Amino acid sequence: MALMRALRMGLGAALCLAAISCGGGGSGRGISSGPPPPPAGNNVASVIVDQGPNNQSVNSLFTSVTVCVPGSTSSCQTIDHIQVDTGSYGLRLLAPVLTLTLPVETLASGNSLVECTIFLDGFSWGPVVTADMQIAGETAKSLPLQVIGDSRFPTVPANCSGMGMGKAEDTVSAFGANGILGIGPFELGCGNCDTATHGIYYACGTTCVETVVPTAKQEPNPVTRFATDNNGSIVALPAVAANGEVTLTGSLIFGIDTQSNNQSGTQTVLTVNDLAELTMTFNGQTLANSFIDSGSNAIFFADSAIPTCTTTDTDFYCPGTTQMLALSIQGANGVMVNNLTFGVGNAQTMLNTNQTFNVFPELAGPLPAGNPGTFDYGLAFFYGKRVAVAVGATSVGTGPYIAF
Amino acid sequence: MPIFRSGEIKIAALLCTVLMTALGPRIAGATLGEPEITVQSDVAQFRASIKSSEDRVGYRIHEIQLPGGTLLREFVAPDGNVFAVAWNGPTPPNLRQALGKYFDAIVSAPKPRFADHRHLQIQQGDLVVQGSGHMRAGFSGRAYLASAIPSGVNLGDLH
Repeated sequence: MALMRALRMGLGAALCLAAISCGGGGSGRGISSGPPPPPAGNNVASVIVDQGPNNQSVNSLFTSVTVCVPGSTSSCQTIDHIQVDTGSYGLRLLAPVLTLTLPVETLASGNSLVECTIFLDGFSWGPVVTADMQIAGETAKSLPLQVIGDSRFPTVPANCSGMGMGKAEDTVSAFGANGILGIGPFELGCGNCDTATHGIYYACGTTCVETVVPTAKQEPNPVTRFATDNNGSIVALPAVAANGEVTLTGSLIFGIDTQSNNQSGTQTVLTVNDLAELTMTFNGQTLANSFIDSGSNAIFFADSAIPTCTTTDTDFYCPGTTQMLALSIQGANGVMVNNLTFGVGNAQTMLNTNQTFNVFPELAGPLPAGNPGTFDYGLAFFYGKRVAVAVGATSVGTGPYIAF
Repeated sequence: MPIFRSGEIKIAALLCTVLMTALGPRIAGATLGEPEITVQSDVAQFRASIKSSEDRVGYRIHEIQLPGGTLLREFVAPDGNVFAVAWNGPTPPNLRQALGKYFDAIVSAPKPRFADHRHLQIQQGDLVVQGSGHMRAGFSGRAYLASAIPSGVNLGDLH
């Protein structure tokens, strides 16, 4: 296994070098190992499920974004392996891959705005900056985004590291991506950070203290800041063989019902509640805090009848034979999608049999906390589907909603 | 308010109610693995308030409301030590405070080889830490000392 990993790392490094030597066209000193940018005016970005920049990703979806110093057309950088995440909000970039110096947002007090982002398994500390962001042919001008691990703000408040398990996720290796593009079905990830503090935002002068933040200074879902095609996005991925694939490529389409290539057609609209959650029914249980999430790398749910893996990969299920299961999903609007079937394979078998694979539609795991009201349907949900994540109004409904 | 479910006579329950109401603000907010009595500083550290204290069969539970909206629950065994903490809310609590001496074990614990940003499971000797959550909805999790769970207490109760 170690040999295979080493070979994969070597191959990855070679591909990376090849891509860099080919240029990437254009401005800046950036890393551009991703696919070439589509022509201007296009609302479609390429996405890929691959091994990730730390060679340790499964079921993780990536794209490339370009950021420029606000107002500049020459101080720009294209960064690949930005994780596409429908379960978070805002663009966050890892400082170690960012070669630009982007201006830090300041509060009315004159202090710098710095954020402690909690991704459950760790903390990501860094300033909120602004940049002009481009992806496909879309641009978000003066977009607030976070730079994680920025050396200008080296001192992490004790409360931040305490909330985040003491695990700093401020390197590509620890974070698992060069950045993350949060395109969930709301404009903002925090519903009330303009009036309440949660240990998320800090005003930093000589010291850092928790602060409220005007909504305009918080990092929004970048799609909502595009000039057009700004009411949501669509993730479109091909179907996958049950035992997996090495990579999977697809499209991230911006706008819903704004162009000929993003029409809703007959898609079923499931509105989400204020927590961006749906109700799923599984095994006769009604799970009111469920969600569909491209940022989850497996299908997570509680089922005491399926054995959890032992010795390794204990965060996944290891049934003796593949289990075919079904669930129903209901939106806050009452609309129901019944009998969606999915497979649960043996995680150890699939992960160890095809070690070059990074796409596993039947990878599933138990919910790790005493949280029986949740079914977290991860990236596998998107395989073979066209899933719209709407923030605003479309021809078939008004966000926040998920449609497929 | 404390609730007794194991059928003690009413007078005993009433006495305990009076006692716990008097002691409640002083004893809630224990740190994992520490005696219940040592915890006064925790509530102050969290700038928190006590929402409730309740006796259940085999353990006592203190529910602490943190200022950011997160609920922290602490489980006390009959031997007087905290054997589990659980949380649910917009952000996790400062676990350095809630886990005390066990926090360093989490920091040094390796992550699973295929971790994502939505789930966490750490087992370091006797210590088990589990969590899940996503932005906007918030986070829930728990930490417990496996060998310290009182007999008869179900893991499913620790949330």
